[in-house]
Amino acid sequence: MKRRWEVTALLSWGFSALTAAVFLGMLALFAVESLPVWRQAGLGFLTGTSWFFRARQFGVLPMVYGTAAVSAVALLGAAPLGIGAAIFTAEMLPRRWRLAAKTAVELLAGVPSVVYGLLGVLLLRDAVLRLLARWEPLSGDTLLTGGLLLAVMVLPTIMSLADDALTGVPAPQRLAARSLGLTRAESIFKVALPQALPGLASAVLLGLGRALGETIAVFLVIGRQDNQWPEHLLSLRPLAGAGQTLTSKLGGSETFLAFGDRLHWAAITGVALVLYGGIALVSLIGARLSPLGGRRA
Amino acid sequence: MLRARKLLLSAGIVAGIAGFAAAARPLRVNGSTTVNPVVTEAAEALRAERGMVIHVDTQGGSSGGIAALGDGRAEVAMISRPLDADDRTHYPKIHFQAVQIGADAVALVVSRDVWEGGVRALSKEQVRGLYEGRIKSWREVGGPDRRVVFFNKEPGRGTWEVFAQWAYGDAKKAPLVNLPEIGANEEGRNKVASMPGAITQLSSSWADGQKTFALAIRRDDGRTVRPDLAAVRDGSYPLARPLSVVTDGAPRDEAKILIDFLLGPRGQALVKKHGYLSLGEKGAGR
Amino acid sequence: MRRWTDRAVWLACALCAAVVAALLAGIAGALLWRGLPVLGLGFLIHPSSEAGAAGGVRDEIAGTLLLIATALAVAVPLATGIALVQAEYLRNPRARRRLLVALYTANALPSILFGIAGMIVFSRFFGWGKSWLAGGVLLGLMILPTLSVALIERLRSLPPRYREAAAALGLSRAQTIWSVLLPQSLGGLLSGALLGLARAAGETAPILFAAAVFSGAGFPAGFRDSPVAALPYHIFVLAQDSFDPAVQAHLWGAACVLVGLVLGLSLLALPTRLRAHEEAWHA
Repeated sequence: MKRRWEVTALLSWGFSALTAAVFLGMLALFAVESLPVWRQAGLGFLTGTSWFFRARQFGVLPMVYGTAAVSAVALLGAAPLGIGAAIFTAEMLPRRWRLAAKTAVELLAGVPSVVYGLLGVLLLRDAVLRLLARWEPLSGDTLLTGGLLLAVMVLPTIMSLADDALTGVPAPQRLAARSLGLTRAESIFKVALPQALPGLASAVLLGLGRALGETIAVFLVIGRQDNQWPEHLLSLRPLAGAGQTLTSKLGGSETFLAFGDRLHWAAITGVALVLYGGIALVSLIGARLSPLGGRRA
Repeated sequence: MLRARKLLLSAGIVAGIAGFAAAARPLRVNGSTTVNPVVTEAAEALRAERGMVIHVDTQGGSSGGIAALGDGRAEVAMISRPLDADDRTHYPKIHFQAVQIGADAVALVVSRDVWEGGVRALSKEQVRGLYEGRIKSWREVGGPDRRVVFFNKEPGRGTWEVFAQWAYGDAKKAPLVNLPEIGANEEGRNKVASMPGAITQLSSSWADGQKTFALAIRRDDGRTVRPDLAAVRDGSYPLARPLSVVTDGAPRDEAKILIDFLLGPRGQALVKKHGYLSLGEKGAGR
Repeated sequence: MRRWTDRAVWLACALCAAVVAALLAGIAGALLWRGLPVLGLGFLIHPSSEAGAAGGVRDEIAGTLLLIATALAVAVPLATGIALVQAEYLRNPRARRRLLVALYTANALPSILFGIAGMIVFSRFFGWGKSWLAGGVLLGLMILPTLSVALIERLRSLPPRYREAAAALGLSRAQTIWSVLLPQSLGGLLSGALLGLARAAGETAPILFAAAVFSGAGFPAGFRDSPVAALPYHIFVLAQDSFDPAVQAHLWGAACVLVGLVLGLSLLALPTRLRAHEEAWHA
């Protein structure tokens, strides 16, 4: 009897420790593997704006910019749309329809990113080219294309979680608001949305996490042009040009070329380290801001 | 009691895995996307007829294949460029040995509007100007007044190396440029087909003559040569290149069987089928 | 005036929902329209040939199934352990919260990082070359947080009376766990697992470097240098590298099969998820 308790507890703690070791080990692995590039470039690896591997120049800043730009576009597109649609399903649809809608949206969230990438290549690339014709993009593969594709990809995540957050607001409060004579819109804006705010914020943050880390779909439509550091950080012009994200660099053929070359490989794992650190930071901040996803944790 | 049973179980699992690991090693092939269709179909035939285990992959193009061979991640590399001194200095312990299975031409491929606008041939100097961004409009080389969009093949790809070798005498001397990059061949064809004013370096057999057009090269001696197989054969087209498979030392065992197949009549028929120059047709080609 | 604002808000939200619905329909339509011509039983049971221009995707399906089965075998015990620690063994609420935060953070890690780490560990340190086992382990680690969180949520939502009854019967904690808590939260584990598998089946990035090759991988005989073909990788390669127009149709067919597989797995998870919803609604 006693023994069995020990085995269960031991296994549970052991598995948890193992998992922690694996995830922290990954971080350590990237740190150690990237040492040569830090030795060569120092902090210049983080602040450098040029990446020419044949000339041994490694700077990740343009990729950080690319990642930030596509994610910003994705959230600006998906957050209002997703929350708006969630208000519709949570507050306006009859319940039976709501479940059907939610099912459909969750299915949409499950479509693999390579399929989104394929659709992006097929449909979105040319559409963006026409859309941007006035700004004469060099091709349909732009930061905007990547951002719009990501918007479509994170939309279901945001919508589904926002819907959860809104339906989590207790029904009696809503009834009270309506019985006070508030219109439906007013009860949404004055009662439901404020209460669901933490949940909505975490829905958007989870969407952001997915956008920051998405690789394959972005890879296929971003144009993969290095060294696209904008003259003005907030200028919109670079969105109409090709770019590179941290993830599209890692998913590209340079990873294979670099494998046998110490410094080049260090630069690639350095990109991985920056990506790991950045995303961990964003999620930790997100966890601090919101009471853990507004979920009953 | 329970612990003993667990121990036994895990011992069994370990033994099973060790037994698994002793299975025969497969033949691993990696490299150029240009050579890939030929080798993949050859491997399909050998798999079906002789039960051979051959894995074919195309990660990183020609240099990716060389790197895989050098790092011991493959037994055969596919390359669409000549072996160069860099490969040998990078992997001093490997005795790279290339066997040519065919040849083709790297062409400068443009979109329809450029072709119809009258650009049919370029000189080396013009190509350099386009690559370095000094020539910004097609009008400067006799074409329509349209902006030049240069899609650069990723450095490390055989196509790029052959291009840079020709344009700058040495791939290492090629200037560092900032261009949107493309990897595999279809990606390049696809992008040029859908973008007005586009140009890229691409295997000539991938230019379909409908939406993508292969330009001729105006040589230094004034002759204009089309990138067709005849010009590759007689050596007059300057960006011709060998398509080869590479092994560490002389090909042995499964690698030899694959390479013999590729050199035989059925392998050579596959080379032809995919639009490349087979060895029998090859004359003085490089 | 107030009625007009009310109307406007309703309209705006309905419009958002309509856009989402249109996206869903558009994506499904685009896939089916292009993929249907090649879809059929033959496509599922024939191996790919002529470098993707003919034949089917048999090996790719088999490879994907093998990968996700391995992922499941890796993830289930680990996730169960983590969930038990979080929901049962940890007493300090702050520590519980920290563990949950760590899980959410781990869940946000991009899949490509698993690919790069796997390349270093399995390919270089272990000398495995490309291996289905490496891919399965990587995918398992990737879905581990999803699975753990699903199980934790389920454990937490179990009515206290189960634990009380177990305590009244004098069961030890381990007995409570094995005979009451885990069987009762099987649904959570199952739906978490199915959703995780759906995600694992569609992932390309983790297997790109460590597990998948384009052609020639039959059923693996060992795990060293035993890569698999996989649907997402097949699509990824063909999307960039298909000269032959015949490849296009096969490419879209493969995409349909992959989406079908993923949606099938998600749909299987649906009943338990909906039940959880209902319970939440009535709680």
